[in-house]
Amino acid sequence: MRLLTHNMLSSNIKGVTNGFPLRIEVEKVVEKSVDFNPDFLKNMFAKIEYKALVEASRIMGYAELPDHAEPSMLESDDFLRKFHHALMELHLEEGTLVCPETGRRFPVNKGVPNMLLHEDEV
Amino acid sequence: MAVRQASLGGVDVDLETKTNVEKLKRGIAEFYDESSGIWEDIWGDHMHHGFYDPNSTVSLSDHRAAQVRMIEEALKFASVPEDPMKKPKSIVDVGCGIGGSSQYLARKYGTECTGITLSPVQAERARALAAAQGLENKVSFEVADALNQPFPDGKFDLVWSMESGEHMPEKAKFVNELARVAAPGARIIIVTWCHRNLSSSEQSLNPDEKKLLDKICDAYYLPTWCSTDDYVKLLQPLSLQDIKAADWSEYVAPFWPAVIRSALTWKGITSLILSGWKTIKGAMVMPLMMKGYKKGLIKFAIITCRKPE
Repeated sequence: MRLLTHNMLSSNIKGVTNGFPLRIEVEKVVEKSVDFNPDFLKNMFAKIEYKALVEASRIMGYAELPDHAEPSMLESDDFLRKFHHALMELHLEEGTLVCPETGRRFPVNKGVPNMLLHEDEV
Repeated sequence: MAVRQASLGGVDVDLETKTNVEKLKRGIAEFYDESSGIWEDIWGDHMHHGFYDPNSTVSLSDHRAAQVRMIEEALKFASVPEDPMKKPKSIVDVGCGIGGSSQYLARKYGTECTGITLSPVQAERARALAAAQGLENKVSFEVADALNQPFPDGKFDLVWSMESGEHMPEKAKFVNELARVAAPGARIIIVTWCHRNLSSSEQSLNPDEKKLLDKICDAYYLPTWCSTDDYVKLLQPLSLQDIKAADWSEYVAPFWPAVIRSALTWKGITSLILSGWKTIKGAMVMPLMMKGYKKGLIKFAIITCRKPE
């Protein structure tokens, strides 16, 4: 699971008012090289929750992303590359995503999150 | 009538219904866990009907092109913009199978697509296939429930459901979730199996029709069917625009005979024997699908709409 995916997942358990972002518990992180695509990244920047990305990338072991970002920073190749690395190249292969309100744990196996809810959670 | 209402999700679902829904979801996951491999082996990564010219004769090699054409015709029907400024920038594939549509859409629009499926085997396979095509950075897959999508509101510019709607036990909830995760200006595209529209004097299908559908439901882990009109009625209260629906049954006619023929090949038969009872049962019910289409009972429907800006 890339952090781009993590950035779009939320816990929608019944009664939860803010299930985003899911907390990450790491068991296995794999870094995968991905082609650098500035246009794609610029499009994505507008759509993601940057703060959640920063927090998630720190947990995944990458501390280079600045705490705050403005759209103007997308003109900086240095920032764009760090953004690219955090968003696209850090993969959670094995671990858990945790609902920030209820603590409910969603497993991630072989890079695939299992977000199925139980009967009493819907 | 009560059964139809419950399947549309128009009444509070009681405990028995909830348990049945859980059983259904497990059945769906297990069916696809078991059957995806054999389908992929013979038909490839698109697990949906092809779109054919009416009354055309097709050979096996035409089917993949027809399946791709189905995707393109659906996008055209929904008027999904191709303009670089207006084209979809984020896509969700609801009931993604092994990711055939996800890959195609991500490639077509040059953007990211995420797919959800109840089947862990499919999600894993979808991931591997996307990686093999170099699309690992553009497509992602999760095991998740279309009735409770794990996304915040308004996330996606294109909400895609290609032949998964027929599995959804609570149609209202299904449609509500599609609308919820759609971003302002997004297109929602549902391509699905429906039963014929009821006339104004009918409360339900006749007993023979129900009997035929029940047999199909049992083998394919489908809940009670609804009609194309039912989908339109469910979409209407959701403040969506440009709701359009069409019957594409004539464009998919060659599909089931072709699937049956592929099952009867040496490869088909041996694969079925090796796969499992759920898959075999699914194969045995294929002639009933053809019968249903011939009688005008089963319809291949497309329903699309747009979320206001």
